[in-house]
Amino acid sequence: MESVTSISRIFYMAVWRNLITLTRYKVNLLFSIITSALWASGMLLFSLAFDSSILGRTVGTTNYVAFIVFGVSFQSWQGTALWGASSMLQSELSTGQIDYTFTCPFSRYRYIVSNVAALAIQDSIFFLPTFCVGLWLAITTLTFHGLLLGLLSVILSVAALVQFGVIFAALTLRYRQVTAVFSFFNFIIQMLSGMFIPIQILPALLQIIGFSIPVTFGMDLLRHYVMGTLTIFDPINEWIILLIQLALLSLIAKIVVSYLEVKAKEKGLHYI
Amino acid sequence: MKEIVCDRLSKDYKGKNTIRALDSVSLSVSKGEFFGFLGPNGAGKTTLVRILVTLLKASSGYAWIGGYDVDREEEKVREIIGYAGQDSERSAYFRLTVRENLLYFAHALRGIPRGIAKERIEYIASAIGFDSKLDRHFIALSGGEKQTVIVIRAIIHNPEVCFLDEPSKSLDPVTARRVRSFLKDYARENGITICLTTHNMLEVEEVCDRIAFINRGKLAFTGTPIEFKKQAVMKEIIEISTSRLEDSVEYRLLKVHGVSNIVYHNNVTRLYCEDAFNILPEILRVMKEAGFKAPVRIAEPSLEDAFAFFVNGGRE
Repeated sequence: MESVTSISRIFYMAVWRNLITLTRYKVNLLFSIITSALWASGMLLFSLAFDSSILGRTVGTTNYVAFIVFGVSFQSWQGTALWGASSMLQSELSTGQIDYTFTCPFSRYRYIVSNVAALAIQDSIFFLPTFCVGLWLAITTLTFHGLLLGLLSVILSVAALVQFGVIFAALTLRYRQVTAVFSFFNFIIQMLSGMFIPIQILPALLQIIGFSIPVTFGMDLLRHYVMGTLTIFDPINEWIILLIQLALLSLIAKIVVSYLEVKAKEKGLHYI
Repeated sequence: MKEIVCDRLSKDYKGKNTIRALDSVSLSVSKGEFFGFLGPNGAGKTTLVRILVTLLKASSGYAWIGGYDVDREEEKVREIIGYAGQDSERSAYFRLTVRENLLYFAHALRGIPRGIAKERIEYIASAIGFDSKLDRHFIALSGGEKQTVIVIRAIIHNPEVCFLDEPSKSLDPVTARRVRSFLKDYARENGITICLTTHNMLEVEEVCDRIAFINRGKLAFTGTPIEFKKQAVMKEIIEISTSRLEDSVEYRLLKVHGVSNIVYHNNVTRLYCEDAFNILPEILRVMKEAGFKAPVRIAEPSLEDAFAFFVNGGRE
């Protein structure tokens, strides 16, 4: 019970800390929200370059604008989920705060996950404008039930992506300079998860890679419930895959963080 | 009752050239004691502290804090310790105020209920005269003020054992004295054991009940600061108020029976000798013959002398 209290307390206080910082600098906050909405508008132009008939055949909708806007809305979380844990640990390492943090009595894994989840909450502020634009564009197919299921799939896939980010953070601490690795994964996720390009039109090999990305099925389910698109597999199977991905990645992330701590304790945090 | 026990602790940093940072250190610290770790830079003090606060794993040996094994029961150890490390000036959230920072660390990371955490922040800050800084952003504080925040953070949860790694390094003398005085009283009132590493000999004399001197990873001494001085400074000291002696005068003074060494330090020339009182007339005679005039006195050995003695491996 204590561990549950602890993770919720760290999460709550990290959200509190982030929101204080965010709302203290109001001009920056305003422009972040405007930029987020502009991204969605920019996609209107981007979508003109696509053949809507292909989308109709493969995904069951010709509403490419809404399709891509939902993909963009995921982007605001993708960066945090993938890079949040890593940049947080790097920052604590460079400031020395990690020494204090790591002498406090809680699981390292829970600390990292709580903080990244708090960052994801913060980023919801930037997710929501884009997401709302997407909802407006899909207004003809939108139902309340669909919206709830869509949001649940988003939460699960972001949670799975956070685990991916924790693994990535461990890699960052171990190998120090992994910016290029991050860019590589970022590109893979953007191109192969169906964020902008329907996964159904990709070559078979690339589709297999796409299926292993945590956000692929989350995004597919979101579009299915909100826009009425065809899913890659049966929706029940996609939910199961999503849950398995979350469980598997959580397990791997825990193991990786434990390994990292053992290494850190052997060599010293600043020398790993 | 022993609060901290180290048994043959060693730490090797493995690499192309393996470095032995700590070499079979055994010591114990009693509950409620104010204990100082002394030693030159790179001696192994911080390595020892980092092992005790569960940040590093010893290569061999054992250590217990409050009866808990620092390696196998690290979670239990973390519950009862507080820690302020050396990289303290940037180790809080810049964009939060001091109060917000302390509330975050106390509530989120140490589990103190918000209301109690707020009261404790007020109490400690006012006790060390820091209450007027509580609503300033951390980034806007001076180095010494940031250091003070980090010291408050280390004790905010009322730990059983608190480790402070050079806590007064950026503090001005007045603030340093106020913080030391508060820590001493606070530790006494709450039965807290405090371990600090420091190069500040004044700090050692003011607050430390006992000290351990570590040099090149080895424990060279444990005892009270007075015992430290007594054990280290076997010789007595005659001080001449001049920054440098002429070579001929130095040569003749070294020839005086009982003078073993001459050291130039802080614009003062120090003659290490035996039976300073009896050889003083001979020193004065040599100076007079050389036509050299300067105030001369028999000096009390200081902790710095003792420090230098141990750093030099037992030579003054």
